[in-house]
Amino acid sequence: MTSPVVGEVGEVSEVGLVSKMLVLGARDEQLPLLARVCDEHNVIGVVVRHEDLPSALAEHTDLGAVLLAGDYDGSPAANDAIGAKLHALRPELPVILQLTDRRQHAALPRVLATCVTDTPESLGSALDEHVFGVTLPDALVAGIVEITTARLRSLFPTLEIDVAPPSVVRDRIIFGDAFSLIPLEGAWCRGYMLMQAEEEPVIAALDSMTEGDGRTADFRELNSVLGELTNLVWGAFKNRFLNGPAVPAQPLVQVPLLINHRHRYISFGSDNPQLCFRYRLAGPGVERDVVIDQRFVFSLNWSPEDFDDSGEPGDSTVCGEIDFF
Amino acid sequence: MTKILVVDDSSTVRDEVAGFLRRNGLLVDTAVDGKDGLAKLRANPGVKLVVSDVNMPNMDGLTMVEKIRGELGNAAVNVIMLTTESSPAMKERGKAAGVKGWIVKPFKGDAVLETFRRLAG
Repeated sequence: MTSPVVGEVGEVSEVGLVSKMLVLGARDEQLPLLARVCDEHNVIGVVVRHEDLPSALAEHTDLGAVLLAGDYDGSPAANDAIGAKLHALRPELPVILQLTDRRQHAALPRVLATCVTDTPESLGSALDEHVFGVTLPDALVAGIVEITTARLRSLFPTLEIDVAPPSVVRDRIIFGDAFSLIPLEGAWCRGYMLMQAEEEPVIAALDSMTEGDGRTADFRELNSVLGELTNLVWGAFKNRFLNGPAVPAQPLVQVPLLINHRHRYISFGSDNPQLCFRYRLAGPGVERDVVIDQRFVFSLNWSPEDFDDSGEPGDSTVCGEIDFF
Repeated sequence: MTKILVVDDSSTVRDEVAGFLRRNGLLVDTAVDGKDGLAKLRANPGVKLVVSDVNMPNMDGLTMVEKIRGELGNAAVNVIMLTTESSPAMKERGKAAGVKGWIVKPFKGDAVLETFRRLAG
C-alpha cells in the first residue's frame, strides 16, 4: 500500500511535465525536504514502505524512477537486497540512491544505483538528468494535448474529457487491452506514437452513444475507434509539427520494436523516456471511465533545437469544411 | 443505383459517413481501400461522387483517383478527399488528378450535406 504523495504538482504549470517516483525508506523527518526537492523538479514522490514494495510496483506502472533512501532499514545489507530486487523487477527504472554521506556507498557495492546523491542539490540534479534527461518543448506538449483533446471530442461527443498532467515515464509496461502504434517521421524528430485503451469501458461508451439502435459493440469497434483516433491525431501532429523540411531521402534507420505479451512489456529499442498523456473520459451511461493512454517515444531521432511549431494549429476549428479547387 | 462511394480503411469512418448520408436519403456504397474503390467504381460506372481518404493500405486515395481518370477513363465522377492530410504538395497532386475538393477530418456532416447532394446529382 502506498502512502500519501510527497511533492504535489500544485506548483507545476498547467502543461508542465511531471514524473512519478517511488520513494523507499525515507524517514518522516526527511519528507519535508524531499517534498521541496520533488516540487522544485516537477517530480511526484510516492512514499512506500518496504513491505509494500511489490504491491506498489504492481500498482504504479508508469514510473520515472525510484529513490532509495540510503539508511533504508538502517543496514547496508537491506539496501543491497532492495536494490538488487528493484533492478531485477524493473531494470529500466533509474534507481537514485540517497545517502547522508557518499562514502557510505563503498559499503553497498551491489546496489545497482544509477547515481548516488547526498545533498538536496545533487538529488535535484539527479532527477533532472536521470528522470527527465531530454528537452521537451512546452509548445509540443501543449500542442499534443490540444490536438488530441479535439479529436477525442469528435469521436466521443457525449463524454467530458479530463487531462492528467503530462508525464515522463521510464517504465516499459503496456497499459490496457489494445494499443495502436504509428511512426512519426520528421526532419527534427523520428519515433512512434502509441495509443492504449482498456476494452470494456470503450465498448460501453460506444454502446451508450448508439443506444436504441439495437447494435452492441465488440472488440472490433474498439480497434476501429482506436485506429481512427490514432489516424486523426497523427495527421494533426504532422500538419502542425512536421510541416517543415522533409526527412532526407537517404535510407532511414530502423530498429525492431519488441513486445512481450506475457510480461506486458514493450521496447522501442532505446533508453529514451516516453512522453505520456492520459485522458479520462466520463459521462452519462458510462459506468467506468474511459482512459486513453497516449505515449510518444522519439527513439530514432530527437533534435528539439530544430523543433518547428509553424504548421496548422490542429484544433479542428477549420476541419470538416470543403476546400474547393 | 449507388450515387456515392465512400472509400476509407477505417470502419468507424465508413460507418459514420455512409450512415449519415443514408439517413439523409442518399444511396451509398463503401470500399475499404483504393484497390477496392477502383474495383467498385469499375463495376458501377454510374457513381456520381467518390468521398475518399488518402492514407490507406494496398492503394492510397490519390493513386486511386489517378487510376479512375487514367485506367477507367472516368473523367466525370466528382471526387472529394476526406483525410487528415493537409500538405500543399498533396493537395496539388489531388488537384492535378481532378479532385474537386479537400476536407480535413474529422467529418462534419451538416457542413457538407448539401454540397454532397448536389455533386451526387
